[in-house]
Amino acid sequence: MSPVSLIMRKEHSALLQNQRGLAWLLAYTGILSAFALLLISNRELSLLDNAQVVYMMAGTVTAAGALIAVVMGADTYAGERERGTLVPLLTAPITPTQLLAGKAIGLASAWLAMYLLALPYLWAVGAGGQNLAQAIAYLALFGTPVVLGFGYLTMALSARSGSVLSALLTGLIVLLFAASPLLIGPGLRHSLIGKIIDSVNPFSGALNTYDAVIIDSEPLSAQLSRLLLVLVWLGLTYILARLASKQPAFQ
Amino acid sequence: MLIDANHLALTLNNREILKDVSLHMEKGEIYGLLGPNGAGKSTTIALLLGLYHPDRGEIALMSNAFQPRQVAVRQRIGVMPEMAGFYPWMSAKNYLVWYAGFYGGMQSTPRQLLQRVGLEAAGDRAISQFSRGMKQRLALARALLHAPELLILDEPTNGLDPRGRREIHDLLLELAEQEAVGILLSTHLLDDVERLCTRIGIIDQGRTVLEDTLGRLLDSHTQPRFRLHMLHTPENPTFPPTVRLLSWEEDWWTLEINLSQGVTLDQVWQTLLQMGWHFDEIHAQRETLEDRYLELTLSKPTKSQEVAA
Repeated sequence: MSPVSLIMRKEHSALLQNQRGLAWLLAYTGILSAFALLLISNRELSLLDNAQVVYMMAGTVTAAGALIAVVMGADTYAGERERGTLVPLLTAPITPTQLLAGKAIGLASAWLAMYLLALPYLWAVGAGGQNLAQAIAYLALFGTPVVLGFGYLTMALSARSGSVLSALLTGLIVLLFAASPLLIGPGLRHSLIGKIIDSVNPFSGALNTYDAVIIDSEPLSAQLSRLLLVLVWLGLTYILARLASKQPAFQ
Repeated sequence: MLIDANHLALTLNNREILKDVSLHMEKGEIYGLLGPNGAGKSTTIALLLGLYHPDRGEIALMSNAFQPRQVAVRQRIGVMPEMAGFYPWMSAKNYLVWYAGFYGGMQSTPRQLLQRVGLEAAGDRAISQFSRGMKQRLALARALLHAPELLILDEPTNGLDPRGRREIHDLLLELAEQEAVGILLSTHLLDDVERLCTRIGIIDQGRTVLEDTLGRLLDSHTQPRFRLHMLHTPENPTFPPTVRLLSWEEDWWTLEINLSQGVTLDQVWQTLLQMGWHFDEIHAQRETLEDRYLELTLSKPTKSQEVAA
């Protein structure tokens, strides 16, 4: 078995056999359950239409996925260091690139699990509506780079920071900053600063695409610039993680 | 030569951690790396493992065949870090099998390996249930699983009871004597060093202050040492050429007396009494590794300097 597969296998077992990994998945499904219940109630009361409910659910899945990715990313190197398991990995016959690749694929697998867990919730809130299939497809296409990008960014922080806590806090601040256009309301979003942030913010890119595709039924061809934005985000964060993991802090 | 490291220097975060460290080790040798806390032992080990790159100096491993940063050399080195960390949800056996995957498999069965470190009964238990001593043993099993030529062990007997310590000692001696494994041992336990090591390196303040065989290190001071209880300390003490003051604690002075020029001890005592020294007890001292270690790593002013001040 290759070193990358071994690291990947360990990351999978950390998620599925470790109590902490299972607890995070449980928390994730808890968030989705609460939101799904809220959205269905609103739809039944005719406060929101079907497309809006599906859009909000897709946004929630992306946000919750990014949050879990930040938590998992913060643990990748700093957590191993705090548990005393990083040095055995760094002194094993494995290159830093292989170690990072194994951890990056492990994170991608965790996102795949979260994506699959989200499907019944999307179906529950959007069944009978016309844009459910688009929501599922665009969540994969746009949500994946956004979520993994946040995970890789926090991996880079984790490789260089002194503790899980500092990597986690920095990752959460970046995530909050990325999500801020959603928090500041539509008025400010349409201001010049709001527009600039929207145009470079991968999180906004994904959510604006969900809005355009699920609610306004726009085609993919109209979303290519946003697709490029999220793919560049993914690429840049992976490069950052690769640079940081070349010589991770191990003491 | 398994390790040939010369004049290593490393600065981290604008702090000069290592200034001039050298370390030389042959096959089958057990090398004790000693030094006070913060002297640079762990950093030296990190350099040998390729986790840092030295600013100055050179390291060659396995008869100049490898540099520490080469991944291939890790196939031949077993490492037991100071902190014995594992994945708590795995069983000991599963962990060893998983970790052996990096080395292309194990040289013996997990059962044989666990038996060798005294964990045969705990192989199927989750590591979360292990005591600190059991984790130390498992860390040693991890270091041994690919039958390395060089073992680098950082405080290997930490957390072990006396019986466990003895078992690990016996295992390390067996590895060195029967399988010619070179063992680099970083420890604070001088008992471990005296029992196991054939060669010693002492690091203090980022410099190698001594590197020699244990036998030569202890034999190097063939001159006898004595502790004298002083009834009255001379105001401005002078020392005959045959006497050297090594240390003092209140009224107790430790002297080294050079008998190589045909002087007898009686003559020395007479000379000291004539010079105004007043003492009522003399105790002969045996030189230990601890004495030599403290002597080399403790920087104290001389008595003459203190009196002058």
